[in-house]
Amino acid sequence: MDLLAFAKGPALQVAAYIFVAGTIWRIVGIVLLKEKVDYSEPRKSAGLMAALKVIYTRSFTASPFKRATLYPKMLAYVQHLGLFAVIFLFVPHIMFFKGFLGFDWPGLPNNIIYLLGVASVVASIALLVRRLTSPVLKLISNFDDYFSWFVTVLPLVTGLMIPVRMGLRYEDILAVHVLSVVLLMIWFPFGKLGHAFLVFVTRGTTGMVFERRGAKT
Amino acid sequence: MTTPQETTAPAFPFHGNVRPLLNEVMHALDRLLETDVPTTIDLASLPFGPGELEHLEATLGAGELSAKLDALGTSRIRETAFPGVWWLEHRNAHDEVVGRYLEITRTPEILSSQDADIVAGRARLGDQFE
Amino acid sequence: MKKRPTVGEILQAKGVSRRGFLKYCATTASILALPPAMIPRIAEAIENARRPSVIWLSFQECTGCTESLTRSASPTVEGLIFDAISLDYHHTLQAAAGDQAEAARHAAMEENDGQYLVLVDGSIPLGNPGFSTIAGISNVDMLKETVAGAAAVVAIGSCAAFGGIPGADPNPTGAVSVMDLVTDKPVINVPGCPPIPMVMTAVLTQFLTFGQLPELDKHGRPLAFYGQTIHDRCYRRPFYEQGKFAETFDDEGARAGWCLYKLGCKGPTTYNACATAKWNSGTSFPIEAGHPCLGCSEPNFWDGGGFYEPLSTGRFDSGAKLAGAAGIGVALGVAAAAAGRSKQAKFTKEG
Repeated sequence: MDLLAFAKGPALQVAAYIFVAGTIWRIVGIVLLKEKVDYSEPRKSAGLMAALKVIYTRSFTASPFKRATLYPKMLAYVQHLGLFAVIFLFVPHIMFFKGFLGFDWPGLPNNIIYLLGVASVVASIALLVRRLTSPVLKLISNFDDYFSWFVTVLPLVTGLMIPVRMGLRYEDILAVHVLSVVLLMIWFPFGKLGHAFLVFVTRGTTGMVFERRGAKT
Repeated sequence: MTTPQETTAPAFPFHGNVRPLLNEVMHALDRLLETDVPTTIDLASLPFGPGELEHLEATLGAGELSAKLDALGTSRIRETAFPGVWWLEHRNAHDEVVGRYLEITRTPEILSSQDADIVAGRARLGDQFE
Repeated sequence: MKKRPTVGEILQAKGVSRRGFLKYCATTASILALPPAMIPRIAEAIENARRPSVIWLSFQECTGCTESLTRSASPTVEGLIFDAISLDYHHTLQAAAGDQAEAARHAAMEENDGQYLVLVDGSIPLGNPGFSTIAGISNVDMLKETVAGAAAVVAIGSCAAFGGIPGADPNPTGAVSVMDLVTDKPVINVPGCPPIPMVMTAVLTQFLTFGQLPELDKHGRPLAFYGQTIHDRCYRRPFYEQGKFAETFDDEGARAGWCLYKLGCKGPTTYNACATAKWNSGTSFPIEAGHPCLGCSEPNFWDGGGFYEPLSTGRFDSGAKLAGAAGIGVALGVAAAAAGRSKQAKFTKEG
């Protein structure tokens, strides 16, 4: 079995199992925890709408902090939106999803995807530099932060190497790219990358708690 | 022969091969004028899309001079509408195309009488006198 | 050993003029994918090349490779090549059969010991030698015997090169490729199902012209023809980059000649000359005719994912196993929550 067949076959399968099991483990493990009882009087009824509201509003910085956080905020949005576009709007990836979802959706032209991918990589590097040079961030960053950064950027870089090629064979770079995605999928549920699905849980919970207490959200 | 459906195929076949090729021909003509060095472009190695080769041929057109070679099948050697740019098409005895070239030169080599043939012909002519 | 005539002498004897010979050399350069500047060298090499002996062995094959090669009847350039070489044995094309044919093979082998080329099409069954025999001799025995005094072996077609369709899952005959069995002689693979005729003759021409074998890639294929992917030379590549894909056969995109990636084209991982050399003397090739590339010159292409499944489709197991993984996740989650809850209870009590 050559490297590409291994990457697309057994490696991807194992990654899928770990990804599914790990993600469900983490979500179930959190959701089933006992809610802390709030003994204060509820000011307002807090339901799903409160949760959704905060999921949305937390996407924007509160005004006192806007100026100070503008630079990292911009970088983070470029990084995230670029990643989203590359993963979900690149036709070969859409075909990958179609393989197990059964449906597809329109994509963007390849050259635009390459551009967005490069933008995401550049933003990622800028964010890493910031993490390494900011005195606060340097202090509080741990292996999880750096490794999560690495497994997210690696598929972007290896993916961009496919059109660029640099003298390597297509099937070899493709295999490395798929393996880098396998690595991402395996790490995804366990470290800080889990914020991808947990951010909605945390923001939603905060929203409900605050709404119940009548805080401005 | 592949013929795109008339109703839905694009009227102007564009797969990006003709323009760069014409650019290469222009540079080859410059080289010919400056340094007297000819250039041969093998059209068989290029990934033409349907209709592009015909478009190239039509663009280059036909000039004053055209020659027909009968050796191992027919070959057509034709100066295009651009002097110095020759279109060579080699066919085998079954009229299948086996080679297509653009030669940017004053005279394609194959038009010249070859030494070996001249020698053989001279010997034949000498025999006729005996 | 009999002194064989040079190709130059053969052509002269046929009454081919020098001009005709130049035309022959020019088209040979084209076939060998060599730049036109090499034509004088080719002329010199061909003139002085001795006519090699070629023995062709057909094993577990569909005869498509021989069919592909003989589409161009003589005296075309390809036909001339077969005049220029001495095809001493080809049990599909030759009239003789049985003992006399085998005697001819042995005579050719002895006469040209160490210098003849062996061409093989078809895979070799190891499961039971009886699966494929010629004149009562098993394929594996005939191969070993014939290759012993050969200069080189050329595996023609995907069956000989990689095992091909007989070698595909579940491989009932135990089919193997030539290179699995021949390890002490140079083996050149010319895969394809079938290979492009021009590529087959080009490999022979290379041997004829330069007396040496071409540069090979990691699968033993001549780099001149298998050095680029179909994707990298495909005329529909601009559509791939622009995001214009045919969704189904015969839809608007398909009629406009858009990229066939979504219909399962294996062009990106397939190395062959189809996109430039094309088929039927440069008429067209599968993608141009509207069908996605099957990847027929790659090892195990029959088992490499469905022909109509896009290249980026993952090869996943059944959904049942994934559901199982989900179940494990739930179980672990419940266990984790239980552990968490007991900790929470402890803190609440203490606090």
